[in-house]
Amino acid sequence: MDLRLSETQEMFKKVAADFVKAEAPSHLMTQWYRTKETFRPELYRKAAGLGWLGMLLPEQYGGAETSLTDCAVVFEELGRGPVPGPFFSAGVLAAQIIFEGGSEEQKKSLLPVLCKGESIPIPAIADKAAYWGPEAVETSLAGSAGGFVLDGSKRFVFDAEAASSFIVAARAENGEIALVLVDRASAGVSIRPLVGFLVSAAEVTFEKVKVPGANVIAAGGGWQLLASALEKALPILCAYQVGACQEIFDFTVEYTRTRVVFGQPIGRFQRVQDHCVDLSIHLDAARYATYEALWKLDSGLPARASVHEAKAVASDGYYQACNFAHMVFAGPGTDYGHPLMAHSVLAHTLYQYLGTPPHHKRQMMDALYPRATA
Amino acid sequence: MDFSLQTDPPGIAGFRKEVRTWLQENMRGAEHLRWSASWSTREDQEEYDFRRNLAGKLGAKGWLFPMFPKEYGGAGFTIDHQMVLETEMDRYGLSLNHVFYTLARIVAPVILKWGTEEQKREFLPPMARGEVSVWQVLTEPQGGSDVATCQTKAIREGDHYVVNGQKTMVGHHLPPEFLWTLVCTNPSGARHENLGWLHIPADLPGITIQHMHLMMGIKNTVFFDNCRVPAKYLVGGENNGWRVANTHLELEHGGEGRVGVDPLVERAVEYCRKTKVGGRPLMEDDRVRETIADMMIELNTLKRFNQRNFWHRFTRKPHPYGGAQQRYFQRMARLRNGERLQQIMGCDALVQDLSVHEVVDFEYAVRTGPGQLHGGGTLDTDRLVFARRVGLGRPTKEKAPETI
Repeated sequence: MDLRLSETQEMFKKVAADFVKAEAPSHLMTQWYRTKETFRPELYRKAAGLGWLGMLLPEQYGGAETSLTDCAVVFEELGRGPVPGPFFSAGVLAAQIIFEGGSEEQKKSLLPVLCKGESIPIPAIADKAAYWGPEAVETSLAGSAGGFVLDGSKRFVFDAEAASSFIVAARAENGEIALVLVDRASAGVSIRPLVGFLVSAAEVTFEKVKVPGANVIAAGGGWQLLASALEKALPILCAYQVGACQEIFDFTVEYTRTRVVFGQPIGRFQRVQDHCVDLSIHLDAARYATYEALWKLDSGLPARASVHEAKAVASDGYYQACNFAHMVFAGPGTDYGHPLMAHSVLAHTLYQYLGTPPHHKRQMMDALYPRATA
Repeated sequence: MDFSLQTDPPGIAGFRKEVRTWLQENMRGAEHLRWSASWSTREDQEEYDFRRNLAGKLGAKGWLFPMFPKEYGGAGFTIDHQMVLETEMDRYGLSLNHVFYTLARIVAPVILKWGTEEQKREFLPPMARGEVSVWQVLTEPQGGSDVATCQTKAIREGDHYVVNGQKTMVGHHLPPEFLWTLVCTNPSGARHENLGWLHIPADLPGITIQHMHLMMGIKNTVFFDNCRVPAKYLVGGENNGWRVANTHLELEHGGEGRVGVDPLVERAVEYCRKTKVGGRPLMEDDRVRETIADMMIELNTLKRFNQRNFWHRFTRKPHPYGGAQQRYFQRMARLRNGERLQQIMGCDALVQDLSVHEVVDFEYAVRTGPGQLHGGGTLDTDRLVFARRVGLGRPTKEKAPETI
């Protein structure tokens, strides 16, 4: 047992922390979230230059072949921002889908440009808002002369606006789930941002979009491929949420020292202290669930249940951390100009992204205790 | 990060084999005993005798306090050996800390930190040999969680302290050899500066122990009536009791850490597999599965908090707020899990009935919910300590005391 970060990880952490301070300081970041201009191409290119896109990939495809924990340390710092952009959705999840499911040719043509930030493939998976799972894939993929035709609509696509292409889950004619790459500029692709108490999400519609045969990543078994990619990718997203929780904890503690009412700093009030205790529990529950799952994956141990547990705990933790911080900050924390609002909106969005905590709890149970009647 | 409890470095694998074989031999005859956490309130003499005997055998090898120096009865081992012993004991549902019900696991480290060389040589080896049952005797009727308000007086007379006063809600049904306690050595001194810490032989004249029948079983009130305690039993020096208390309380209040796994979920799952309604096991029921998932996640979180605290303790880098956080969360999770058990298994969660539960102890798990909310200080003291350590509303943070 050793709960320290390695020297390399400490170095990654420092570089990422400095990056966040310099490139996404709080005042700019809150402005991006407020105006919903969350894709910052200049930031994304710089991150590519630092090697943070496709970090997990082998060097031959442009990656750095780091361990999952190494990558997670970087994402934890990005989460402190919270730095917006498709760092995870393209740089980790899409990269992993292509790496695990793509042909050698696809890997060679798609991955190096992904790592350079020149191509941004964004997964577009579930058709329904209220459900995450293979059943929610209804978009159809029908054969046609010289390729396929894609027809359907994806209700909640995170980072859609940054996309140069989409990795779309669709039903093939035999009922199997296929994954195909669709250029954003293809005729019939339309993107409609979702407006409300969420961020960086859009509904993406594919109306009779032509897909060349060469763009098929998986003709069938797409959900299994996705599940396998998610098993490695999800803990990285969890680490991002851990960083966000840590940032919220830190600025909330600071606020309890500086905010004076009723003649004393609010941190002297035990009710306020209670909120901070609860906040810390969600933070540390998320932190250790995440890093334990990462350790299992990096050590080659069975990790499926742990990964689902981590997603449940980290997404719920981020959500609850925001709520407890709102109890401490009261009115000022509800101003879109306040960093807590950026977190709060993002926490609600990530609660939904790639399955809610209740979904992942069910998956955890199914992994540990398969149903007799399944 | 490495969360593994069993990646034995070179040279340790042989030790694990040795411990495993030793335990196989020495656990024989215990097959019918129930290793549930509730043994201390069940008054099962056979189980207690087995445990004390086992502690003696472990102690003879220095394995009860493996990292303690040999001259104090330890084995002079490393943290790796400690992990081997902890994890091998855990395979039997036993914890190295609780082989039998004694507070030595906390008392010994405190003596190691605060005792004189003479005290260490005299007090530690019998504890390390597993021969001593120590009760923590802190709570007073008026004081409750406010232990520093200590009214039990210990006035120096020559080479003795004369102790008068009363402690309550302490110990259990089996007699102690030592009482580990905070006393007021200077009644006119300032708060926190007026205290001393005594390690009192329980058979001295002037000590009366009276049982109390409480929610969690038997506890006691201890009366000191002109009890003359030789001065050599004062630990930490004159009027230094509060600093000794801080080390003690940090260990007791979560800083001790732990690497064992709570078997409650596995046992609940077993129950839900066996119990059928309309021919269908409870384990197939969606609501049951969701309830078990919540229980499991909280217990896993607790396991990881415990492991973190264990690691911080044995690497000698006390976590700033980990103890208080773990302890608050543990008690709230236990309360919630007690309710969850009732939701899953109905009145079977409330019945003390070996024929229903075999080795399972759901009733105890439910009863400890409200029953253990306050042991060693209320939930509110945990949150208070957290606030000071994190520096809520304060310009400075209180440092976690160093423990051993």
